[in-house]
Amino acid sequence: MTTTLVGSPVARREDERILRGASRYLDDIDPPGALHVAFVRSPFAHARIGAVAVPDGLAGMATVITAADLTGRVGDLPVQGIEDGRVADEGHPVLARDEVRYAGQPVAAVLAESRAVAEDAAELIEVDYEPLAPVLDASASDVRLTEWHRVSGDVDGAFESAAHVVRASYSLPRLAPVPMEPRGAIGSYDEAEDLLTVWVSAQDSHRQLAGLAKVFDRPEERIRVIVPDVGGAFGSKGVAAPETVVVATAAMATGRTVKWAEDREENLIASYQGRGVEAEVELALEADGRMLGVRARIRADLGGYLMQTTAIPAHTTAMLMGGVYDIRAADVQVAGMRTNKVPTGPYRGAGRPEAAYFVECTVDRAARDLGMDPLELRRRNLIRTFPYRTALGWTYDSGDYERCLELAEELIAPERHADDTRVVGTGFGMYVERAGGMFETADAELLPDGRLLIRSGSSPHGQGHDTTFAQLAAERLGVGLDEVELRFGDSKQVPRGVGTFASRSVAMGGSAVVQAVDALKEKVEAVAARLGRDASLGDVAAAEPGLRASARFESDLVFSSGAYGAVAEIERATGRLRVLRLAAVDDAGRIVNPLLAEGQVIGGTAQGLGQCLVEEAVYDEEGNPTFASFVGYSLLTAAEMPPVETAFVESPSPLNPLGAKGIGEGGAIGAPAAVANAVADALGGLDVDPPFTEEKLWRALREGGA
Amino acid sequence: MKPAPFDYRAAASVDETLPLLGLDSAVLAGGQSLVPLLNLRLARPELVVDINGVTELDYVREDDGALRIGAMTRQVALERSELVSERWPLLHKAVELVGHPQIRARGTVGGSVVHADPAAELPVALTALGARFHLRSADGARALGAAEWFKGALYTAREPQELLVEIELPAESADARSGFAEHARTHGDFATAGAAAVRFRDGGAALVLLGAGDVPARAEAAERALAGGAAPREAAALAARDVAGDHRRALCAELARRAIEEATA
Repeated sequence: MTTTLVGSPVARREDERILRGASRYLDDIDPPGALHVAFVRSPFAHARIGAVAVPDGLAGMATVITAADLTGRVGDLPVQGIEDGRVADEGHPVLARDEVRYAGQPVAAVLAESRAVAEDAAELIEVDYEPLAPVLDASASDVRLTEWHRVSGDVDGAFESAAHVVRASYSLPRLAPVPMEPRGAIGSYDEAEDLLTVWVSAQDSHRQLAGLAKVFDRPEERIRVIVPDVGGAFGSKGVAAPETVVVATAAMATGRTVKWAEDREENLIASYQGRGVEAEVELALEADGRMLGVRARIRADLGGYLMQTTAIPAHTTAMLMGGVYDIRAADVQVAGMRTNKVPTGPYRGAGRPEAAYFVECTVDRAARDLGMDPLELRRRNLIRTFPYRTALGWTYDSGDYERCLELAEELIAPERHADDTRVVGTGFGMYVERAGGMFETADAELLPDGRLLIRSGSSPHGQGHDTTFAQLAAERLGVGLDEVELRFGDSKQVPRGVGTFASRSVAMGGSAVVQAVDALKEKVEAVAARLGRDASLGDVAAAEPGLRASARFESDLVFSSGAYGAVAEIERATGRLRVLRLAAVDDAGRIVNPLLAEGQVIGGTAQGLGQCLVEEAVYDEEGNPTFASFVGYSLLTAAEMPPVETAFVESPSPLNPLGAKGIGEGGAIGAPAAVANAVADALGGLDVDPPFTEEKLWRALREGGA
Repeated sequence: MKPAPFDYRAAASVDETLPLLGLDSAVLAGGQSLVPLLNLRLARPELVVDINGVTELDYVREDDGALRIGAMTRQVALERSELVSERWPLLHKAVELVGHPQIRARGTVGGSVVHADPAAELPVALTALGARFHLRSADGARALGAAEWFKGALYTAREPQELLVEIELPAESADARSGFAEHARTHGDFATAGAAAVRFRDGGAALVLLGAGDVPARAEAAERALAGGAAPREAAALAARDVAGDHRRALCAELARRAIEEATA
């Protein structure tokens, strides 16, 4: 019996199985007799499609599915709205009908006895393309897929009375999410039961279920979604993909099991990307540095269609444009533009890294203009009382922003100097992120042997649910960790949940686990009281088989926050940037497992650093992706990772029984702004956008004369 | 990413290999470049001739003062060879920068030389050391120097029926002082620029740039300047003088300077 599990750095208990190779990813499932899918994808960024010709030679070799086969049976993928905004009805078609809007868009699916044969057959299909001029720059697009605008407070008054107005514009590149395991799906259809079963590499089962039910207009009870072990997603496996719908369609049409295991090239060019956002930001300040108002025009390069969640990140960015500061006037506008690129969607941070970057880089610019210490400028404006309703309308539940900043300064040991060979600078970036929200579920059951089984509506794809949820359940029931078993990811076995995204698993899923266990504990104690004092859980299970309790936990958004610091060195001769060290201070409320939380911070920080140093999904002037392999898309390696000092501040959230917030994205949110500000400090100002390539910095050094 | 269909033959000797070579065949050595090209369907040979069983081409030995490297020598064998580290250290420095350990464990010296990627390290080091490339075909044998061998990006003087069997470094290249410097976006990534510098025992110098063109580029004026006693920075600037693009020129000059200083130290 232990009562100290929560807050302990328990090692991930799922790792032994994974490290032994005993985990089971989508491609490890090898149903006998399955048909394998290869997609014919558009080689053009924009084209009209005429006939799709299937040569006679393909008969017996492969079956081909085109948009014509879907008409009237399969709808376009659904689109999710944003509060007070307009979102166009331009959902992604499952297969292209008469137009393709990005290179890599699925045009036809080929089913064959093996993936290799399917690829041979796919090559033989002739699609009649009539190329059209592509739109590759959001600013050149005249099609708005999303629009949002909010004005709050006396914005004009703030800017008129301001002693200083700082203006800046930014552009953050598109990023490929690159999970270790690419996407994939297996479909099978039981005609007798009229049940469609889909195994899918996804962040959770219920959003996939909802998406499939919608496109097939089919009751959810007639679909079973099973999510096996998943090797990462970073946001890119959140909602049903067109390819998954094709797999399910093919299974129903052929009566055979159908498998699609994506290869790396498809993953890079055809799974939805992150970022791709520009902003013009204005900040109004009093002479003493008090921030009076903010204006921002945010333009997002959304790609050719809307995936279900494409509209959301830019809206999140907009809502966070006040950052961690007490700014009472805001005028923020979002335009989501259609371009001839793969759609964007949530990618680790999902709108928050953009907001932190735009706000924090502007604050540093203001400090330079005002001749103030950037930390002092921040301190004069930090929000200090909670709950705090922002000008834009979100309510920050709790936090201690000043303490985060103080710790970040202490941990980073600021440094600034220049000599003949290099320049060195220090920068900080603060953030506040929305996390949690909506609901999550759990069932707790006492097994016949007295062990505890938790069925969770929230499921893992690398976060460590199996450990953290077991910690929560075991502590609540007063049993050992080994007495708790978790089940996830099968829509027919687990209660209806929402999913794993927005750093929400512990605050939402964990709270549901705790509530379900508490309810079960009441039942267990009632039986135990009847049986007498020494009754064990096994005795209770024997006396009252099948004891079970469920919980559905609902809450408003919680707001994690943090302060990051970076020291950057730039080599004069080449412009090469080296980040010498990073400090990461996060306030995610109460931390259930500091070891896993730190792992999340470091992983997120590595991704945030990657976006500063090397990552950028570049389309050439014709709209061809240049990032179809790792020759064209660079990721950091361990060798580029500087030391990261981490610390947690714990301001409990009042909105859930754990006091928890979210930690999955903080590193990706805080690190880019801190690194950009360190680079700016080293250069004495910064007018270039990430990634900070040696060539850009070499030019900046020569032109800026730092 | 599955290759287009091809026939496959595994050879156990050079004599078995040679009759299989021709316009429509590709030689599979370590597979670190050919296999991705096959999977991307950018290479579509009718026949893949696997020479991994041709053990007679797997050797690194000194022969009358010269270094002889069999074409099937794995890069890791070169990396771990004491003979190479002690007497031809430039090769050791260069091979350590090739990809990652997994790549060097399979990749071969001959494969790198035949693939002739302009971003590859070994061709640059071998050029600086005055390598000769020995070829055999069913009709006979010939040997070429680097200037004749490297014709362009991914393009060499090898005829379709020829097999690269050996790389030879002349006795004069032994025990030279040398330096290798490169720049890559991330550790183990393809180099975007680089330089190899050699100061031979007889007072001569070699300087070869990586990323300054489609083939390893000898900087002959800089070599003469170095032999004549020029300072590293001066020779490096001379070497990079004609590199296209101001940043690339600065990068090449800096890397050349580092390589020369390492060779001079």
